[in-house]
Amino acid sequence: MKFGFLTRRPSVCARLFAGGLVFAIIFLSPIAVAHAQQKLNKRYPGGKNVRVELRNISGTVVVEAWDKDEIRLSATIESKNAHVVPKQVNECLTIDVMSDNRGRGDIGDINFKLQVPASSSVDLETVRGNIFVSNIRGGLVRAHVSSEGDIELTNISASQVIAQNVIGNITFDGEFSRGGTYEFKSNKGDITIRIPGNSAFRLVAASPARKIALNDFWNSNFKNQDGRKLVGDVGDGRSSVSVMNFSGQITFMRR
Amino acid sequence: MNCETCQELIHDLVDGRITQNDESILNTHLNECLDCTSVRQDLATIVGFARTRRGEYEAPPNEQALWLRIRNVIEAEQVGQTVVSQNERRPSFLGRLMGHSWELSLPQLTAATAAIVLLVSLATVVGLRRWGTTGPFTPANVVQASASTNVNDRFIAKQQAISYWNQRIEQNKARWSPRMRETFEISLQVVDQAVSKSMDDLKQRPDDDFSEQMLDAAMEEKIALLQKFDKMSNF
Repeated sequence: MKFGFLTRRPSVCARLFAGGLVFAIIFLSPIAVAHAQQKLNKRYPGGKNVRVELRNISGTVVVEAWDKDEIRLSATIESKNAHVVPKQVNECLTIDVMSDNRGRGDIGDINFKLQVPASSSVDLETVRGNIFVSNIRGGLVRAHVSSEGDIELTNISASQVIAQNVIGNITFDGEFSRGGTYEFKSNKGDITIRIPGNSAFRLVAASPARKIALNDFWNSNFKNQDGRKLVGDVGDGRSSVSVMNFSGQITFMRR
Repeated sequence: MNCETCQELIHDLVDGRITQNDESILNTHLNECLDCTSVRQDLATIVGFARTRRGEYEAPPNEQALWLRIRNVIEAEQVGQTVVSQNERRPSFLGRLMGHSWELSLPQLTAATAAIVLLVSLATVVGLRRWGTTGPFTPANVVQASASTNVNDRFIAKQQAISYWNQRIEQNKARWSPRMRETFEISLQVVDQAVSKSMDDLKQRPDDDFSEQMLDAAMEEKIALLQKFDKMSNF
């Protein structure tokens, strides 16, 4: 018995067909995946004192200020089974992915981009994923990652800022308002705070790993507890700053 | 004549005070009644014996001393019997109190009542002062009390909470997606490292406030993580 068709050279047509098939698989499959994703774009009216509450499960959250008195929500939803149903009551927009998808199982990543008035308050939570907030000058900026994800707060001037994660870096670049409260907490990741040189605040910084660098903000009035905890005032200490990092670095930098 | 009258006449006969008439009647009855004859013979024998032995028994030299000695012996025996009975069964204080007859006079009763009123008033004043110092039972006080408990108590309480949430998560973990399981495991590992490190620090320096604060914070972080993922389990 001879198997000549196995040793015979394929014809030109066959080779062209195979090449085309490989090309289609390599280059067209992302397009197919993209088509499986959902996109959500919505606009909501809002005044100067808008509040946005977002409870995500997994994915990146980006919030940035713009010069319009309205909220623009853009979302990329990985799974077609996932639902996102924002609710607006007065000037508060709530997006609760967890509640909206109860009983649906794994819904993959949902990436949000929110454009809000600069004076807005934003309260953001996710289980996994990065959170980026920029140019907000409202009452509250809260970013909480329950497990893994970086938090970047850029050009922020809110009277209350809370940034907390388990794994990941936290970066705050902004100003401390007089009488404001600021809390930064991470288990494994670096915390970097960039503020103007004339900032005035009362600081409590705790790092069991003894990795606290105040740089230009250090003064001799600080009470140093064995390098693990620093308590003291910078300037007149009108705002309150609390930083805790279990294993990473705490760094203060002049802006 | 009957036997009763006969026996009375027998005594008179023995004493020699009987009349002739009675004696003849008595003899007539004695001739007919064997019982009364027997009584007369017994009595006559006793009286005759006593008469014949009169003067043979002399009085003791000091009769009064003899009686004193006898009396002392009798009293000593009575005291001994009382002690033995007391040793055999001594009643308890309550038994004696209950068995006691409480008969108080009016002044005694008044004094007892005044003493009770005084004691109750004193106890009330002391109690109210203590209440004023510690304050009533409020949630704030409970928080303050729990904050003042030592590190071991707080550690045990937090450990119990962690065990509870761990159990809940173990029950639901199988339904999680692989990615969610991986996220949880990585985060838990990091938080556990913080808890272990804080515990080690505290063991090395048991009086170190900072290590205690870090342990508290790390355990609270762990509880928060478990609660979050338990919420996700219901998702």
